Amino acid sequence: MGFRSHGLEPRNSLRFIFFCCFAAVLQLSTVSAGTPAPTDPSYLRELIERARAAHLADEREWHVLLHYNRNLFGGFTSMQDDPGFFMAPEGKTNPQAELAATLTKFFSDELVGRSKQPAQCAFVARYHWLKDKLQFDDRRLPPQPCERFWRWFNEFNAETISVIFPTGFMNNPASMFGHTFLRIDAKGQTPQTRILAYTINYAAEVPPNAGPEYAFKGVFGFYPGQFSTIPYYLKVQEYRDIENRDIWEYRLDLTEQQVRRLLMHTWELGNAYFDYFFFDENCSFHILSLIEAAEPSIHLLDRFPFYTIPVDTVRLLAESGLVGEVVSRPSRSTLVRRKREAMNDEERAWLNRLIRDPAALRTERFRSFSVDQQAFILETTSDYLLMRGSGGGAEGEPFREKNKSILAARSQLKVPPREIPIEPYVKQPDLGHGTSRIGFGAGWRNDRAFEEINVRAAYQDLLDPDYGYTPNAQIEVMSFAVRHYYNESQARLERFSPLNMTSISPIDSLFQAPSWTLNLGMNTINYGSCQLCTNGYFNGGVGGAVESTLLGRQIFYAMAEVEADASKAYEDNYRIGGGGTFGMLTNLTERWKLVASGTYLRFPLGEKSDDFRWFVGQRFSLTTNLAFRIEYNHRSHDNDVLATLHLYF
Amino acid sequence: MIKRVLVISLALLFGLQAGFALAAATGNPDTGPGCGLGKLAWQNYPHQKTIGVQVLEATTNGTFGSGTFGISSGTSGCTNDGQVWASEKTNVFAAINFDNLAQDMAQGRGEHLSSLATLMGIPAEQQPAFFAMTQERYAFFVQAGESSPSAMVKALNDAVATQPKLAKISLNK
Repeated sequence: MGFRSHGLEPRNSLRFIFFCCFAAVLQLSTVSAGTPAPTDPSYLRELIERARAAHLADEREWHVLLHYNRNLFGGFTSMQDDPGFFMAPEGKTNPQAELAATLTKFFSDELVGRSKQPAQCAFVARYHWLKDKLQFDDRRLPPQPCERFWRWFNEFNAETISVIFPTGFMNNPASMFGHTFLRIDAKGQTPQTRILAYTINYAAEVPPNAGPEYAFKGVFGFYPGQFSTIPYYLKVQEYRDIENRDIWEYRLDLTEQQVRRLLMHTWELGNAYFDYFFFDENCSFHILSLIEAAEPSIHLLDRFPFYTIPVDTVRLLAESGLVGEVVSRPSRSTLVRRKREAMNDEERAWLNRLIRDPAALRTERFRSFSVDQQAFILETTSDYLLMRGSGGGAEGEPFREKNKSILAARSQLKVPPREIPIEPYVKQPDLGHGTSRIGFGAGWRNDRAFEEINVRAAYQDLLDPDYGYTPNAQIEVMSFAVRHYYNESQARLERFSPLNMTSISPIDSLFQAPSWTLNLGMNTINYGSCQLCTNGYFNGGVGGAVESTLLGRQIFYAMAEVEADASKAYEDNYRIGGGGTFGMLTNLTERWKLVASGTYLRFPLGEKSDDFRWFVGQRFSLTTNLAFRIEYNHRSHDNDVLATLHLYF
Repeated sequence: MIKRVLVISLALLFGLQAGFALAAATGNPDTGPGCGLGKLAWQNYPHQKTIGVQVLEATTNGTFGSGTFGISSGTSGCTNDGQVWASEKTNVFAAINFDNLAQDMAQGRGEHLSSLATLMGIPAEQQPAFFAMTQERYAFFVQAGESSPSAMVKALNDAVATQPKLAKISLNK
C-alpha cells in the first residue's frame, strides 16, 4: 500500500530491489515494444469520421468504459480521477474528443497510462469495442500483440465471476456494513479448490501510519481507491479466519463474452484510480461498474445516487437475474458454535477441558469415547484454538502450541471428519429486509395523542428482523422522527440521530466479546416545567451478555453507561452522569421479537438529578419488508406509547 | 507464527536471507514501499486485533495487500501485474495457509489440502490416497513445514514420488 505516494527509504531499498525481480521479465517485453508502427493518417481520419457519424461517443458502452456520468450542466464528467486514464487532455469531460484521441493513439505504440503499454493494450476493452463497431482493417491499423495483457488474462482461465460478500463486522467501524469484491472463477474449479481463484478487489490505498484523520479522509474521498487481484485464499484468511465473518458467495451467470469484457475493463482500471468515498463511491459501487462493463445494457449504478451499502448491491444483482448459485462460507467462530451445538453435554465438557489442557486427551476417559466422537471433539478443539491463535501475535502463541498437540492426536485417528450442516451466523443477506426504513405511527405521550413519521437511512436496530443481518447488532445511521401532537399547530422534530450503535454478544465458556453501545442524537423530553423540550445527548456503555434457554431462547445483557445531556430544561443547560442498563432480547417466534430494558442514571454534574427509564418493545413481521411494532417508553413522569407500521426498502 | 513462517519461508524461497533477517530482527512493520508478493511477509496484519490495523482497515474496508496485487501498476517498475509468480504458486500457498493445511492433514481432508494437491498437480482420483498419506505422516510433514513451508512442499513432492500407494495408483493409470 501507499507505494506510489511514498518515497523510497534506504532501509527498504534492498527489499525493493528484490521484489522488483518479479517484474523484470515482464517489463523488458513491454519496454522493447518494437519499432514505431507506420501510421496511416488517412485511415485514422476515416475512422474518426465514421465514429462521429455513428455517434459512438454517445453510446452507453463508451460511457461505461470511461465512467462518464451526466453532470449538472448537462454534459459529462468521468468519475475516473487519474489523468493517465484519458488519451485527450479534456477526456474527463469530453467523450467525443476522448474517442478521437483514443483512435489516434491506437495507431501508435507509444507507451501510455500508468501501466506503460501501447494504447491498444492499456485500454484493451476500448480497443476491442471500437474494433468491433468500426470493423478495423488490421492491415491499415495493425493490432499490437499485447502479450502482457494476454498472459495476465490467460492466467485466470476464467469461466465466470462470483460476487463475494463478507458480512458485517461490528468491531470495526469501516466494516460494519460488510464488503464486496469479485472472484474470478476458473474453468475446472471445484468447491474444494475455489480458494485458489483470484479476486478483483477495490479498496482505498491508505498510507501506512495514517492517523485519526483517516476516518475523515476515507469518508470524503481523500484516498485513491485502486483495484487489485488478491488470491481468494488470502481474503478467506482475512475474513473467515481472522475477523470471524461469515462469507456469502454469489456466482453470476455470465457468458464467456461478458466475462472477457469484464476482465478487459479490469485491466484498464490498473491504469486508474478513483477517489474513494466510504459511503458512495466505495468498493460496492465500483464492483458494480465492472459488472456494467461486462453487460452495458444492465443499469446498476443509476440505482445508487447517494450511498451504496454492500448488501444492496448484492440484492440488486439478484433482482437483475444475474445470480446463480449462492453458497455460504461460515467463519471459524461459526464453525465452533455449530459444532458445539451438535455435541452432547459430555462432549461439550471435554471440548472445554481440552482447550484448557490438551494433555487430557491421553486420559482413559477420553479414550473411552468412540473414535468418531474423539475425532469430532479434537477437530472442534482445533478450530477453536486456531480461532484464538490466528493472526500470529504473541498473545496467540499458547493457543497455537496447544493446537499442535491436538492435531498430532487427531492425525492418529483414521476416520474422516464428521460432516454436519453448518448454518451460517448471518443468514443469506440479500433475503433480509431492505436497508432503509420508513414508519407511520401513532400513540399517546402521557395524555396527549400524536401521529408520527419516522425515517432511517440505514440499517438495523435491535427490534428489526435479524434475517440476513448480524444478530443482536444495531447500526442506525441518520434516523429521524417528526411528530404532530394533538392540539399543536405544527409538527416538531421529535428525534434525530446521526449514529446509534449497539452490539450484544453473549459470553460463554468459549466466547468472551464485550457488549457495547454508542448513541448520539437529540430527543424530546418532558422535564420539570419544560414540556416537549429539545435535548441533545451522548450515551456510551460497555458490558456483557449471556444467552439463556430457560423459556425458549433469550439474551440478557447488562451495561455500565455514561451520558451527557444538553437542554434548556436543565440548570446551566446540561447534566452529566452515569449508571447502568439491564435488558433482555428474545425471538418469541420467527416473526415476533421482544426487547425490554431498564436503565438507572444519576447525574452529579450540571443539573443534579436522576433518571429511571423503562422500555418494552415488540415487533411482529408481516412480510420481509413490512413489520408492525409497539413500543412503550417510560421516563420519570413521562410515558410514551407508540405503534408503528414499518416499511423497509 | 504465521508471520514468522512467512518470513522464513519467503526468505528461503527466494534466497535472500540477509535482507529478511535484518528487517525481521528489528520487527519492522510494513511502513514503506514494497511490492510483489513478498510484501505480505511484512504486513503487520497478523496483529489484527491491534488498533493500528483497525485504523488502517477503517478506510480501506480490508486492503490486505492491495498494493501487492495491484493490476498493471507499471510505472512502479515493480509489478507482476498482480499475479503470483507461477513457479512459486505452491510454495506461496503453503506458506500462507500453513495452519489450515496442518489441520487438513491431521484430519485427512479439507479444502486447503485439496487445493494444495491441485497445485501440486495430483489428479483428482489420486487425491484421497494423497490425503491419507499426509495424515499418516502428519508429524513428519508438519515438522518440515515449521522449518519452512517450501521444505514441506518438497517433502510432500518427494513422498508422492516414492509412496507405494500413490505410485501404484499412478502406475495403474
